[in-house]
Amino acid sequence: MSATGASPAAVLAPEQAGVAGPVARRRAPSAWAAFARDRLALGAGVYLVGLALVAMVGPSFEPYAFDQQNLSATYQPPSAAHPLGTDNLGRDVLVRIVHGTRVSLFIGLAAQAAEVVLGLLLGSVAAYYGGRLDGIVMRTADLLLAFPPLLLAILLTGILGPSIPNIIFAIVVSGWPAMARTVRGEVLVLKTREFTEAARALGVRDSRIILRHLAPNTLHIVAVRATLGIGVVIMIEATLSFLGIGVQPPMPSLGGMISEAFKFLRSYPLQIVFPSLVLSSIVLAFNFFGEGLADSMSPWTRNR
Amino acid sequence: MGRYALGRLLGIVPILLATSLIVFVVGYIAPGDPVQIMMGDFKDPQAEANLRRELELDLPPWERYGRFVWRAARLDFGTSYVNRGRSVGQIIRDAFPVSASIAAVTTTVALFGGVALGVISAVRRGSWVDRLARFTVLVGVSVPIFVLAAIFILTLALGLGLVPVAGWGKPENYILPCLALASRPMAFITRITRSSMIQVLTQDYVRTARAKGLAERSVITVHALKNASITITTVVGLAFGTALTGAFVVETIFNIPGMGRTAILAVLQRDYPVMQATVLTMTTCFVLVNLLVDLLYGYLNPRVRY
Repeated sequence: MSATGASPAAVLAPEQAGVAGPVARRRAPSAWAAFARDRLALGAGVYLVGLALVAMVGPSFEPYAFDQQNLSATYQPPSAAHPLGTDNLGRDVLVRIVHGTRVSLFIGLAAQAAEVVLGLLLGSVAAYYGGRLDGIVMRTADLLLAFPPLLLAILLTGILGPSIPNIIFAIVVSGWPAMARTVRGEVLVLKTREFTEAARALGVRDSRIILRHLAPNTLHIVAVRATLGIGVVIMIEATLSFLGIGVQPPMPSLGGMISEAFKFLRSYPLQIVFPSLVLSSIVLAFNFFGEGLADSMSPWTRNR
Repeated sequence: MGRYALGRLLGIVPILLATSLIVFVVGYIAPGDPVQIMMGDFKDPQAEANLRRELELDLPPWERYGRFVWRAARLDFGTSYVNRGRSVGQIIRDAFPVSASIAAVTTTVALFGGVALGVISAVRRGSWVDRLARFTVLVGVSVPIFVLAAIFILTLALGLGLVPVAGWGKPENYILPCLALASRPMAFITRITRSSMIQVLTQDYVRTARAKGLAERSVITVHALKNASITITTVVGLAFGTALTGAFVVETIFNIPGMGRTAILAVLQRDYPVMQATVLTMTTCFVLVNLLVDLLYGYLNPRVRY
């Protein structure tokens, strides 16, 4: 069965999911080719991978600890010893940015992964079974969507306390409804298709139909949503940290660093520049990457 | 239409009830005993018991929720835990107009700026306005509000000295917060205006209007924009929502005594009544504005009939 989601062909061409290999395989490269032609998206992808590598291995090579203060070398401009200078407590800005990026990317990926799993499961189960179950899941989703964005996350982290698992939890609670709604819409169509009918006629169990046939066929849309969503999640985490209810000091975070730099905006504006640049570029890169992915997977724009 | 509007208005009630339940439960399961917080180091079992009774914390949870909803329906949220003696209703009444006026100005700026930018960039594709529009969209979507605020403070306030850095009470205090807040909703509006204008401009009725010799200006404003505006309305609710939640950041940065700063302070100080009231008020506003947008959409679009 090619609809496991492991092969790109199954992901890209849901209408061929039940068809044997050759046809499906022939169409696969075109999406990749379209994506590779999109230089902006490709560049954004390379940038993000590079950033993730630096964030992963960087901390084992750093000459300073992220909370190592040096009160005789505060507000240093960039130099050989401190490539991005030092902050108000003489801490190395580059080291802190690497750690902050690490936290941001970790929270972004973890929260988005949880949103995808929850959205896929709840969305496809709700659509497949319909009825009361569908009603309960979708009314819950509607309710959570009735909150202004960010408000729920602020409420939850504020109450539960600002630890990293709580931040992820708060983001997932406010984020899964949108994903579930998308998946549900797709599965409502897919469950009437012949391959679902065929699987049911063959006596395949419901859980297997959902997990192996329906959910994987929504992955092409989910992938785009998720990539664009990581940027949003990172923005939410940075905002929470900026407001003081996200990642807590001494652990550095991009939002927290910017918040601290605000106090010295008048006397030392340079302190705000680098964390702002890195944070904005990460969100921008996820947007470019996600939009490139969307274009390459859409049959209307793929061949342009 | 009237019946539909009434039905939708009634549909808000369960949403608000459920919201109040979430807000209540969150306060209920929250770690930390408010009585302990308020008493501080002062230990007196009798005073603690009195305070507990006064705050109705000794009642069973369902009864507390019932009373909470009953009072909230009459806009009575009790008194602040932190500022003893200040009624939460008064705190909200002071903060709400501030945030509402900021949100109104922001949404207006974003709407007019976004529509103008979107229309011109759709009509003159590839021009400098088009490039400006794309840049606005990119920045608005990717640059966090607090970074934009820092850029505006550094350039307009500290660099050029055109506007005050922070503070509240004078008309010029609106400029920086609203600029920072408007960027994101303006990006959404610009993007959707541009794409729906491009789509509308290819329609037959636009070609007909041009063929019968109408001035280009009236083709664009009357025939094209009027139809594109139907799509544009759908993002106005979203724009208002981002203005509402952006208030948390902007009010904190610019030291503005609005709902956002009140809510954040309440969260940081574990002032549950204030927190519950701010969350409920903001959610109610958001839900109402979205309802209004939906109704307006039906009114503007003759193809939608309820």
